[in-house]
Amino acid sequence: MDIREEFLALDQTVYGRPLVYFDNAATAQRPRTVLELQQRLSVEANANVHRAVHHLAAEATDHYEAGREAVRAFLHAPARENIILTSGTTASINLVAHCFTERFLRAGDRILVGEAEHHSNLVPWQMACQRHGATLEVLPVDENGEYSLAALESRFRAAEGRIKLVAIAHISNVLGIVNPVKEIVQVAHRYDVPVLLDGAQGIVHEPVDVQALDCDFYVFSGHKIYAPTGIGVLYGKKEWLEAMPPYMGGGEMIESVSFEKTTYAPLPLKFEAGTPNFLAAACMVPALEMARMMAESAELQQAQCEMRDFLLEELDRVEGLRIYGLPHERSRKIPLISFSVEGAFAGDIAQILDKMGFALRSGHLCAEPLLRRFGQTSVLRASLAPYNTLAECESFMAALRRAINMLR
Amino acid sequence: MKTIQEIQVEIVEEFAVFSDWMDKYEYLIELGKGMPVIDEKDKTEEHLISGCQSRVWLSCRKVEGRLYFAADSDAIITKGIISLLLKVYNGQKPEDILSADEGFIEQIGLKENLSPTRANGLVSMIETIKQYAASFSAPEPAAGKDLEADIVLALRQVYDPEIPVNVYDLGLIYDIQVDADGQVFIKMTLTAPNCPIADEVVMQVREAVADVPGVKDVQVDLVFEPEWTTDRMSEEAKLELGLL
Ligand SMILES: Cc1ncc(COP(=O)(O)O)c(C=O)c1O
Repeated sequence: MDIREEFLALDQTVYGRPLVYFDNAATAQRPRTVLELQQRLSVEANANVHRAVHHLAAEATDHYEAGREAVRAFLHAPARENIILTSGTTASINLVAHCFTERFLRAGDRILVGEAEHHSNLVPWQMACQRHGATLEVLPVDENGEYSLAALESRFRAAEGRIKLVAIAHISNVLGIVNPVKEIVQVAHRYDVPVLLDGAQGIVHEPVDVQALDCDFYVFSGHKIYAPTGIGVLYGKKEWLEAMPPYMGGGEMIESVSFEKTTYAPLPLKFEAGTPNFLAAACMVPALEMARMMAESAELQQAQCEMRDFLLEELDRVEGLRIYGLPHERSRKIPLISFSVEGAFAGDIAQILDKMGFALRSGHLCAEPLLRRFGQTSVLRASLAPYNTLAECESFMAALRRAINMLR
Repeated sequence: MKTIQEIQVEIVEEFAVFSDWMDKYEYLIELGKGMPVIDEKDKTEEHLISGCQSRVWLSCRKVEGRLYFAADSDAIITKGIISLLLKVYNGQKPEDILSADEGFIEQIGLKENLSPTRANGLVSMIETIKQYAASFSAPEPAAGKDLEADIVLALRQVYDPEIPVNVYDLGLIYDIQVDADGQVFIKMTLTAPNCPIADEVVMQVREAVADVPGVKDVQVDLVFEPEWTTDRMSEEAKLELGLL
């Protein structure tokens, strides 16, 4: 099967040039199977979930729950109760940042976040700390963009029990390095501190087994893993999800309601107030199936490594170009490369590349503190998916050189 | 002085020769590079207009009833477009700037750059230009008189004790900036860096300007870069000193 034929969006031109889509870390394209299901269910099963007895409603509910089951299986989570469906990574993190801290964070406590976090895994914690009079601590990355487990360990020792949670990315959306999350969880658990992993990028590039990782929370978005926008996942260990108070109040999350007292629905519905995006949830089935298939294809995986290596080597040849996120072991680097070029501003390069048909991300990449650490306000990012090709990488390098020449 | 409309027409004609985006962008890059560099000192938080993609700095001063903008951006294409905007608006009257539109940007095919989703700071910059224009076109406290002209008059009363020509005509005043709420910034020099009466002259300048009705606060910056030369003197001053 030609994988590119499954992703209809790839076959189009922009400004009369063939599209080269290198912004997959922001949003990935969707396969035909997802588009078809979305369209079919819009007709055959458009009704509210978990509420009515009629046929369409039952169909909708079944598809919604099938989406949840696909997510559970993909994460190797023990049960349906562990999987809360949200609108995205950001919503999942906010849910934990709100409900977990409500119960477990006190004045004088601390939350530890990584230096390389997306604003979505930073600002909600900052807000929670402000609400509770706690402080936000930051675990720095080194020049290469890597964390030190020893530094983490000493943070816990110095904090003497005041760190209540660690929130860190599985893979940073700027650095593209697979963090040693299993080890991070082990260290944290030695100090009885739970860990939330921001898997927005991790879920796309690494096999995830939440039980083997032993993380307490794992979150990600559907739209980065070939599903539509508006669906996200919060995996949580049952003991935490049970202990946390509900987030939003409303329909669906209740067991019984009176003006005096409301009892809440059991997990997972306790955290799913209101009508969910059930179409997008249903689409997690074909989306995750596509992700699984691409991950299992030795050919595609090999091609991804080749593209990564090609880009790393070719970019390194460009004078004045600096790459952010070069781990000691290259195998820890995903085909996501952020860089800046001396004498050519990232936004200008992106704008010229756009005219040549290349879709790249530029700017602070929602990680201003990390960029500041590297002395930048704006970088360029090429993030690839298995449907990209080496030929695209080659034409990208030629286009990049041309753009830089125009600007210098 | 050409009108805003005339300058816009000129720019549109200028761009008509470009057949594709590449030439256009190359030209914009050239314009961006050729733009006078704004003083690092002026790249302050106060003048910063942040976009997500790039940053833009803009400052404005009024001289004899007309507005002059200085601007910069870290993105060169954005800077090229800024230079077009400044070409149109620099030296115009606040009320003309207020009533003008930026339709020419669309006519030269750069409209997408003004889309807020570009987040390049251009849209906010245009808004800021209009805000400056609005605040400067408000009737002035000193009964319709031009504050800047009054400041110049006041400066003409201040003399370097060793030379019988006032500091303004001597060319010692490098810059006068008046902002909308009566804050005045003066950048000046002295004829020689080790002038023994430096403090005294600066104090006289500050007092003279502070006395002008409508001035709330005066800040005087004494600089020796660029160096003063007799070329900076007005014709009258040169005549007075017998240099012509
Ligand atoms: C690492 C990381 N965390 C969080 C997010 C936020 O995801 P979303 O905007 O889908 O909520 C992103 C996506 O940009 C990301 O890459």
